[in-house]
Amino acid sequence: MQNKLSFHQSSVSLEIIGLPDYSNNENEDQISIISQWKLTIIDKPLIEGKIEHLGPIMNAFYIYSNLLIKNEIPLYESNLIDIKADNLYLHNIVLKSSKPNVKPLIFKIGNSLLSDTINCFDQLNESPKVRIKKTDVTNNTTKRFRFRLINKVKFFNFVMPPFVAICSLILFSSSFIYFYNPIEDKEKNELINQE
Amino acid sequence: MPNKVTIWKLRNNNPLRKSYVNNNIKKNEFDALVKITVEMSRYLYPYIREILKSKEDLEENCVIWNDFSKRFIELIKERFNIDCMRVKKLLNQAENDEIIIKSLLTLSFCISNQGYQKLRNFLFDF
Repeated sequence: MQNKLSFHQSSVSLEIIGLPDYSNNENEDQISIISQWKLTIIDKPLIEGKIEHLGPIMNAFYIYSNLLIKNEIPLYESNLIDIKADNLYLHNIVLKSSKPNVKPLIFKIGNSLLSDTINCFDQLNESPKVRIKKTDVTNNTTKRFRFRLINKVKFFNFVMPPFVAICSLILFSSSFIYFYNPIEDKEKNELINQE
Repeated sequence: MPNKVTIWKLRNNNPLRKSYVNNNIKKNEFDALVKITVEMSRYLYPYIREILKSKEDLEENCVIWNDFSKRFIELIKERFNIDCMRVKKLLNQAENDEIIIKSLLTLSFCISNQGYQKLRNFLFDF
């Protein structure tokens, strides 16, 4: 008996069908081995496929939504899915079948359906009941920010060792001031000269 | 955030506002503001979605978009420094559609439990 989990967001629902991994002592309601998934968007054709298609499709939507927001050219192309912006509020999706002689599925979605789809994928990513290779969205620190961080770390690595070295030299040599008395040294030299 | 007054004071750090006060926002204050924004967008998601949908089919359902756009411009005129070039750009109806849609989309993408982290990343890249 297969488990079935559904994630809903307004006009979009995502259904995951699969089995728990009993060899890992998982609960009966867990899904680790996904056999099928279905993405239903109201008034649009049903999208379904195998586990190997789910990851790339989720990634495509995430990458495309990031491009859309970050003022970059909103275009994503792969051998499985193409997403392209028709205008500010309409997105063209082309799903290509891996089977030969099957025509690609083409449809358009608006911003509202795009955000519903992204939120369905988010729910799946966050669900403790489904184990899939999670799409790394949250730790996806932006390039510019990462660059800034790296620069900061590099700068510290570069400056800190000589700075510590100079400080320790100053501290070490300043302690000798208490041992060395130049007047006493002068008197000693005079005594030697007199002898 | 100890109280609402703190949030009200933090709002004045926006350089586009009329009553702009230049205080540096601390990291924990920034995080708190991001969390509040995520919670608000989660609560208001049905409205955000309807506004976005209204823009998609303006011929059939233009009322929601027009109301939102009108209110948005009213609020900007009321609270922002309209002599500033960036504010003028916000008031320009030919240009502000893109800004509004992208802002609404950003908010609608960040309603999940990990939305806080997502919005933070979007803001760092802004």
